[in-house]
Amino acid sequence: MVLEKLRRLDETKLELPLDFKQGMRVPGVIYVDSRLEKELEAHSIDQVANVATLPGIVKQSAAMPDIHTGYGFPIGGVAAFDMKEGIISPGGVGYDIN
Amino acid sequence: MRLLRSNLRKAEVLPRIRDLVEVLYREIPSGVGSKGKIRLSPDDERKLLVKGATWAVENGFGEPADIDKTESGGRIDGADPSLISSRAYERGRAQQGTLGSGNHFLEIQYVDEIYDEKAAQSLGLFTDQVTVMIHTGSRGFGHQVCTDFLEVMERAAVKYGITLYDRELACAPVRSAEAADYLAAMRAAANYAWANRQCIMHWTREAFMRVLSSSPRSLGLGLIYDVAHNIAKVEEHTVNGEKKKLMVHRKGATRAFPPGHPELPGIYRHLGQPVLIPGDMGRASFVLLGTEQAMQETFGSTCHGAGRVLSRHQAIRQAKGRRIWKELEEKGIIVRSAGRETLAEEMSEAYKDISEVVDVVHRAGISKKVARLRPLGVVKG
Repeated sequence: MVLEKLRRLDETKLELPLDFKQGMRVPGVIYVDSRLEKELEAHSIDQVANVATLPGIVKQSAAMPDIHTGYGFPIGGVAAFDMKEGIISPGGVGYDIN
Repeated sequence: MRLLRSNLRKAEVLPRIRDLVEVLYREIPSGVGSKGKIRLSPDDERKLLVKGATWAVENGFGEPADIDKTESGGRIDGADPSLISSRAYERGRAQQGTLGSGNHFLEIQYVDEIYDEKAAQSLGLFTDQVTVMIHTGSRGFGHQVCTDFLEVMERAAVKYGITLYDRELACAPVRSAEAADYLAAMRAAANYAWANRQCIMHWTREAFMRVLSSSPRSLGLGLIYDVAHNIAKVEEHTVNGEKKKLMVHRKGATRAFPPGHPELPGIYRHLGQPVLIPGDMGRASFVLLGTEQAMQETFGSTCHGAGRVLSRHQAIRQAKGRRIWKELEEKGIIVRSAGRETLAEEMSEAYKDISEVVDVVHRAGISKKVARLRPLGVVKG
């Protein structure tokens, strides 16, 4: 993971380009402005990239401005998977199923 | 996440706020491993897991109208009670109808700012109105389902040759038996959570009636909406101009479907889906609406809360020597908590500022602000 590769897309979005981390199949996008960007934890950014490496992920690995580190997937994360090529992961839902 | 409206104004409730918080605290079991007052036969237990909030309504907890205002009708199809471990049953048995601990809460609030007058009116919200927010989930039951299936998925990932960059990403192909089993168990946990919030809402209405000596009609404690924020669902989305069914994982993210979406209840279809965003107990919470842009950008999703900035441990250390309940009282917020450390773990400084979080999703266009709610009284686990 190379934090310098984070790229600001616009006022509310940061992009993790495909070369942010080896194995990423889609880019990552984190919805934060420059203020909340300061509160991002390196570990949760890495988790956005990790989710992007999973088979059958569609379009992007996204995270909301309330992102923080979770079990495997970041809390504040949204990931959609293809019904044929994709996966399902308990870490993508978490312990507090609700 | 569940939000109730009322016919009450802040000034009518303020003189009785201490009694209300006290009665709610007494009537709704909270705290780590708290036990509820619902005792289920094995047969009822299985019915609840399949029928969710509709089980609760059929058994006298709330009204049929509540179901229309709950995501997925409070009952997601495809739950299979036979896939639940005996350990999960044990943990869940006494916890139905309990708030739990950690970030779970029941909060009496008032509407202090409206950003979209027309939308607020459609939702039945007005300035100074009292609302009640309920945040809890599937308790120890869902926790055990997750634990059980992480083990299954670790083996499945090896079996199907999936490269994991982190062991915690344990998963199985959507088309595998392991995935089908997890999904059916997770759905049972989601139904457990919907039933839980439905029961707690019922007791909340009773507590208001008792403390304020008022009738259901004059209180007007009606459900605005109930929405999940930790769930995986099969949904149809448009990707590169093509409609596709996808397995959407939302973990600490809220569904935010746009106006016109067929999954929205009739009364909200013209409006877009209500989105309920709790902040920490000292600041504010928000009501938003889903948008078309969320559908295009984030599979119809937005944020779910403030998000922690301090770990529970760090928060407890920083709160040493402080009396959080007193600090909150000085701000006009009456709080009651079961756990000794809960208030420290959950203090405002442990979280990002909810207003900043909500402003980002509003400016990004993936949901839009309708109203801000301020806390008056809080019951914490």
